[in-house]
Amino acid sequence: MAETQGTDIKAESLSNVITEAQALDVDDGVHDMKRCLVFESGGITMFISTEYITEIINDHNITHVPVVPNYVKGIINLRGSILPVVDIRLMMDKEPTEYTNKTCIIVLNIDSVPVGIVVDNVYSVMDIDQAEIHPLPLKHQEKLANGMLKLDDEKETVAMSFDCHALINV
Amino acid sequence: MDSTMEGMLETYLFETNDLLDKLDEMLVADEKVGDFSTDDVNEIFRIMHTIKGSSAMMEFNAISTAAHKVEDLFFFIRDKGIDFLSADAKKELFNLMFKSEDYLRGEVSKVENGEPLPENSDEFCKVVSDFLDKISKKEEKAEESAASGGNAAAGTSDSKSSAGSNIKAVNAQLSGLPDDPKAKTFIHIYLEEGVGMENLRAFMIVNALKECDIDFRYYPEHMDTDSSTAQGIVDNGFYLAFDSAEACQNALSVLPSQNHIRSFEEVEAPAKEEPKKEEKKAEAPASEASAPAEQKSAAKPAPGAPEKGTPSAARKSAPIKQSLISVNLQKLDALMDLVGEIVITESMVTSSPVLKQLDQEDFDSFNKSARQLRKLTNDLQDISMSLRMVPISGVFQKMNRIVRDMKQKLNKDVKLTIIGENTEVDKSIVDSIQDPIMHIVRNSMDHGIEKTADERIAAGKNPQGEIILSASHTSSEVVISVSDDGYGMDPKALLDKAEQKGLLTKPRSAYSTREALNLILLPGFSTNKEVTEFSGRGVGMDVVKKNVESVGGAVRIDSELGKGTTITLKIPLTMAIVDGMKVTVGDSIFTIPISNLTQSVKIEDESEIILDENGNEIIERMGNFYPIIRLSKFYDIPGQYDDRMTEGIMIWVEAGDKSCVLYADDLLGEQQVVVKPLPTFFNNFDLKSVGISGCSILGDGNICIILDVAGIYAAAVENT
Repeated sequence: MAETQGTDIKAESLSNVITEAQALDVDDGVHDMKRCLVFESGGITMFISTEYITEIINDHNITHVPVVPNYVKGIINLRGSILPVVDIRLMMDKEPTEYTNKTCIIVLNIDSVPVGIVVDNVYSVMDIDQAEIHPLPLKHQEKLANGMLKLDDEKETVAMSFDCHALINV
Repeated sequence: MDSTMEGMLETYLFETNDLLDKLDEMLVADEKVGDFSTDDVNEIFRIMHTIKGSSAMMEFNAISTAAHKVEDLFFFIRDKGIDFLSADAKKELFNLMFKSEDYLRGEVSKVENGEPLPENSDEFCKVVSDFLDKISKKEEKAEESAASGGNAAAGTSDSKSSAGSNIKAVNAQLSGLPDDPKAKTFIHIYLEEGVGMENLRAFMIVNALKECDIDFRYYPEHMDTDSSTAQGIVDNGFYLAFDSAEACQNALSVLPSQNHIRSFEEVEAPAKEEPKKEEKKAEAPASEASAPAEQKSAAKPAPGAPEKGTPSAARKSAPIKQSLISVNLQKLDALMDLVGEIVITESMVTSSPVLKQLDQEDFDSFNKSARQLRKLTNDLQDISMSLRMVPISGVFQKMNRIVRDMKQKLNKDVKLTIIGENTEVDKSIVDSIQDPIMHIVRNSMDHGIEKTADERIAAGKNPQGEIILSASHTSSEVVISVSDDGYGMDPKALLDKAEQKGLLTKPRSAYSTREALNLILLPGFSTNKEVTEFSGRGVGMDVVKKNVESVGGAVRIDSELGKGTTITLKIPLTMAIVDGMKVTVGDSIFTIPISNLTQSVKIEDESEIILDENGNEIIERMGNFYPIIRLSKFYDIPGQYDDRMTEGIMIWVEAGDKSCVLYADDLLGEQQVVVKPLPTFFNNFDLKSVGISGCSILGDGNICIILDVAGIYAAAVENT
């Protein structure tokens, strides 16, 4: 079990965690444990498997792209390559907020489509048993979630499983 | 297939296609003259020989045997001299050669597409053999009537009994082995080209082997004393004959350490056949030895013999050392990307705000170095761009062939004139314009040029039709045009046709001549009633347009009824780096390619703007009226001067024959930008259709969006 690392996860330390996670990725048959990153956006706690995550960055200058839906914030220059950025808060029809120093962009690579998502807060990396994820009780209501789970922390937060593929097949 | 094999296959395909292209070029050129030159006969022989060898190596036996047949044929022709053939036979030979080329191409493309090859190529081989039979029978007659065959025919004179044995004799000669009945194996050695005194060098190698206590004989026998054998060794290599396989193995182990050897190979002595053949063989090398300069002595080694090259041995298929290498296009793309990054990073460094803190002297010396760097990066950029440039002649040469084939099928006399075939264009562009050009040429041949010469004479034209294929550069684009001097197109007929098909989008009278001509670019428009083998299915010009537009180009049609048609393709020189004008709209920065820019002005008074009934803004400029597209409105970005049109800037742009005025906040200046495609994520939102063609990273690390004027025009003017 990974320790809670606070909100300011550095990209390097995360990538260390990811490599470690890949090394530890053992499947004992009953439990399908996956390292997941827990984050929060628009008041909803979500988690995503670290296998999709390239890095976490913050404080980037986003260039607006015209015509696209408002949740597509634009593009950023990530060390010479161009990365689209989506605000999932807006994608879930929540009110827009000012970006703060806690606002992060999680850089994902989903089936070799690179895309960044803007989230309000990043919490921690933890092992989550994929077998314990419950299906959503409401059908066809959630845009970006495909399951839910009570997390193993003091507050027993309920978190949603983030559906990466729904993100790129908009 | 493992990776080495794949690499070999790639090389094989590249080489073979290259050779076939060369063959094609040669055949088309020779057919124009109506004769093969001696050099070309030798060249065709060599090409076939190479294809045969490499195909056998890759185990494509069908291709190998087919090439072998043609090689046999040309061996015969070369031996007899091309003038031996009558004019009719030559004509037949041309057709046969084009057929052979097509056959080989077909098979090679099967390999390319991973389709299974047929087991054998008997059907094709038979056609070639039949022809060889025919011409060799004629030879028989010719020789019977002649008093004596003379020395020149010595090699083949005793094989004239039947065409079949003729080929056998040719094969025996092809193997070129010296007469040594005792020998079990031979080693056939080629010396490096141009080393000089080949006979002595060969003798030195022989001596070196002798010193190693290896028992063997060598041919030609008197090479140490007879300097006339040198030429034979150059053409034909020389042979070592071994009585035992063991001795041969020893020699093989010594040979790699010898100097001046280009290649050597082990050849098994042929199984003893009928004595008659032995006799023939005896004759062949003897005549070669005595008259080594004779052409036929250039016989190549036996086909089946495995090539045991040493690391230093050059490939036999490349007799002329080329200073060209083939490079994977992906590597070039990666290089281009890197160079683009360097250009950007360089301007990041030189425009860094930190520099302002330097004192004047330091700043000057920094600037000096920066200028030097700028010069070097510019050179680097130019060179890396030029790497991707290839002459367009490859595409044009293929048109020669198409015109030739269609000329025969359609029975039209047409001359193809090629201008500017050395014009260089980006490799990716060459690939995407080949089909469009081919299509246009076919259309011109099929529908453009009059059906009969009489019709042309009646119209007061030269009875021979002409198609001119030309390519040239302007500062920023390649212009390729295909013109014919045929019927020309009738705008009225085009409009009739379009009306009939329901393709007109506005009243008939509203179409200008150019717009009428452009109708042929619409999908589903075909002016010819009958569908022919070559064109007329109505899937054509629209595909041409699409292909050309996919590389950022434009198609323009000019036609005069009764005089002919010219179709012009204008394609930007390179798509990777464009000169752009940066403009601002609100907080966004856009780049408009300079090549689209005509001029930019500030209007003095808002009354210059004319409003139509829908409130669309129009402006008059030099007698013409242009629509104004407000970028702020078009892209839904709050602009700085949306309500004060006199503050913002009017930018005249044109793309092809469309022009309009864009309204933006301000001009920021000119900059070269490296075009990057939008991330794949944006494929979800069709941004190309609203005139966003890509993006680019500016010197300060910010991103600007590159606009495509044709796209904006299509979205804003044509769809509203």
